[in-house]
Amino acid sequence: MKRVPKPVFFIVALLILAFSFTAIFGISYYNGDNKNTVIKGVGDIRWGIDIRGGVEATFKPADGYDATDRQLQDAKAIIELRMVSQGITDYELYADTNSDRIIVRFPWKSDEKDFDAMAAINEISSTAELTFRPGAEYTTTELGSDGNPVYKTPKGDTETVLMKGNMVSKATSGYINDNDGSRKFVVDLELTNKGAETFKDITTKYLKQQVSIWMDDIMLSAPNVSAVISNGKAQISGNFTSKSAADLAQKINAGALPFKLETSHYGNISPTLGENALTAMAYAAVIAFIVIALIMIIFYRLPGFVAIIALMGQMALSVAAVSGYFTAIPSFTMTLPGIAGLILSIGMGVDCNVITAERIKEEMSGGRTLDGALEKGTKNSLTAIIDGNMTVVIVSIILMLVFGPSNILSFIFGESTTGTIYSFGYTLLVGVISNFIMGIFFSRLMLRSVAGFKPLRKKWLFGGAKND
Amino acid sequence: MTNDVQTKAADAPMTAEQVSEKFNGGKKVIDFVGKKKVFFGLSLAIMLIGLICNFIFGTTLDIQFTGGATLTYSYTVDKDHPIDQEELRSFIQEHTKDKITASFSTDLMGNTGENVSVQFSGNDSIKTDIQENLTKDLQKKYPDNNFKNLEANSVDASMGFMFLLKCLAAVALASVLMVLYVTIRFKKIGGLSAGVMALVALFHDIAMIYFLYVIFQMPIDSNFIAVVLMILGYSLNDTIVIYDRVREQRKLMGRKTDVGTVFNVSCTKTLKRTIMTSVTTLSAIMVVYILAFIFNINSVKSFALPMMIGVISGCYSSICIAGPLWVMWQNKKAARKAAKKA
Repeated sequence: MKRVPKPVFFIVALLILAFSFTAIFGISYYNGDNKNTVIKGVGDIRWGIDIRGGVEATFKPADGYDATDRQLQDAKAIIELRMVSQGITDYELYADTNSDRIIVRFPWKSDEKDFDAMAAINEISSTAELTFRPGAEYTTTELGSDGNPVYKTPKGDTETVLMKGNMVSKATSGYINDNDGSRKFVVDLELTNKGAETFKDITTKYLKQQVSIWMDDIMLSAPNVSAVISNGKAQISGNFTSKSAADLAQKINAGALPFKLETSHYGNISPTLGENALTAMAYAAVIAFIVIALIMIIFYRLPGFVAIIALMGQMALSVAAVSGYFTAIPSFTMTLPGIAGLILSIGMGVDCNVITAERIKEEMSGGRTLDGALEKGTKNSLTAIIDGNMTVVIVSIILMLVFGPSNILSFIFGESTTGTIYSFGYTLLVGVISNFIMGIFFSRLMLRSVAGFKPLRKKWLFGGAKND
Repeated sequence: MTNDVQTKAADAPMTAEQVSEKFNGGKKVIDFVGKKKVFFGLSLAIMLIGLICNFIFGTTLDIQFTGGATLTYSYTVDKDHPIDQEELRSFIQEHTKDKITASFSTDLMGNTGENVSVQFSGNDSIKTDIQENLTKDLQKKYPDNNFKNLEANSVDASMGFMFLLKCLAAVALASVLMVLYVTIRFKKIGGLSAGVMALVALFHDIAMIYFLYVIFQMPIDSNFIAVVLMILGYSLNDTIVIYDRVREQRKLMGRKTDVGTVFNVSCTKTLKRTIMTSVTTLSAIMVVYILAFIFNINSVKSFALPMMIGVISGCYSSICIAGPLWVMWQNKKAARKAAKKA
């Protein structure tokens, strides 16, 4: 057998310990009051709404109204605007055009006090009111969750409403070629007959002045009136990108939607319940690890001890894949079933160590030397480990595909929010992959290296009979 | 019975001692195939009990699938402000036209105190204002008991049904893919038979989990689907480790050796591993279950309990159901071949 140098065991073990430490605690330093996170640890994991507490709701057009795909997207744009303007970052939002549903899921804001889910749901699904107002004076500026400022609450002259959204029949985004040949993005407004008249009066009165467009309490845009418009076709130009023009058009359209939104499904979880669950799961993870460590050491001695180090590495790797430790793997929203999956993979993770250790034991009782048994045992157990783990891989991928946001079954069943089970699939998959890396590669490296130490070269330590 | 085990009459059948001496280093080889009637009988008996329970109690689907609503409140009680559960129940009942079922539980760690879950009959989502008013009314009626809304869930009937279909499609898809995998990977030991018998074992496990839900009157929810999928993977993992050994032993023991004997030897050799892995997995889940029980976290409890049953059933079915069935299939095939030749 190819011997592995003795120090390898210590190097691998130390690396795993160092990695586990950083994966759990993360690395961060304080610059004054600002925390700078270099490496993300458990504390930086983004928890799902079943842990942080939050609200989930599905809306559909009221009274069975059959909305067009376009209208549904417009309605979605409004909910998005409301989420962003309230500073909610971790929201999920989908519009399912097949069944005319809009699904939203968002956590409670960290400074939320009364956790009134009903009020929150009613607020985001209320009918949007689009208004045109003179000037562009606002009371407050807040930073929206997309990083752009949100101007709220009209004041002074701007409190007057000149025109309402129902006078706009359509808004579209497009582009015009400027004099110098560059492309300029614009939003075209088409007004109703009544709207055209009103708009003519407005543009006459406020020529060369600002007229702002508001959605509820939020200012969307504040263009200057450059000409009197009497034919009911207006154009807003400015510093638009193709996306921001499309966004604005969508929001203006949503202010003239012919239907109300009705709540067809909702759920909410208070943060107390989630926090409680998180504590329970944290205890469970630690206790489960200790129990399995004891089982492994009692039954498999030295290979069992090596398995525990590898298992620690496996856990750290799984945590790292969730927290965003590696910049290449984005952080993942962790839910209760996700944690359960992680703990489950502690139990299943030792499987490949068990298979190998049993095989080594068997080869030794078959009369092989220690080295021979190690070689034969690790080699013979490989196919079983790979074939066995493949099934768990298949299952976890299916769990992710089926309960993920847009999935292979979407074309039949429509989009949905990522159910909490999605992260169960993810942690299971991550667990199996880390298990391959730690349980097979590193465990074997450590085992072979340890077998080089004279005092440890006893068959008993590898699970053989006592007198060997 | 013995005919099944030793069909190859041409070779004089080895005695149990000879087998153990030759292939298992003198250690006893357990005759799994020979006890198959006991195993099959046991499984069928459990299923029969489950079926009877199913007829008596029926199956309940969670509101996730049927539509409906549940509300959970936490509250505190002390000597001066006790709450009579029956009184609370009828107080809530007065506030809705739907018939309600209330269940009470306690968080042993005291973080969320006493809990009451109210389930509204009727398969439609409740209007949001009912929840709002109920919270206020409860706080008004019991001002000293800190009534708080912990959790609410309300599902539209049509959405629930779509979700159920989606879950079932997921299970079907997973089963097909896994049988395919086994069939391809275990061509040498009669791929299709191995795949199909593994599938039978999987259905056995699903049935066990299902009957657990029926017997304990737990409503079938998306956790059930997650557990079923998980156990599909887990149970097949066990089956595959045994099949892998059969593949290897068959090479070692030669084609002439009786299939049943090959299986018995392989299974005996992997038995310790199968049990150990189940023990470690089971202890991890059991720890989760115990803590979820202490902290009163229903969503985790209803996940961990069926998972435990699934792990036990998965371990059992791999050894006692999939294996002997595969041996029967192989023997039948051999017998048919022999008949053709003759």
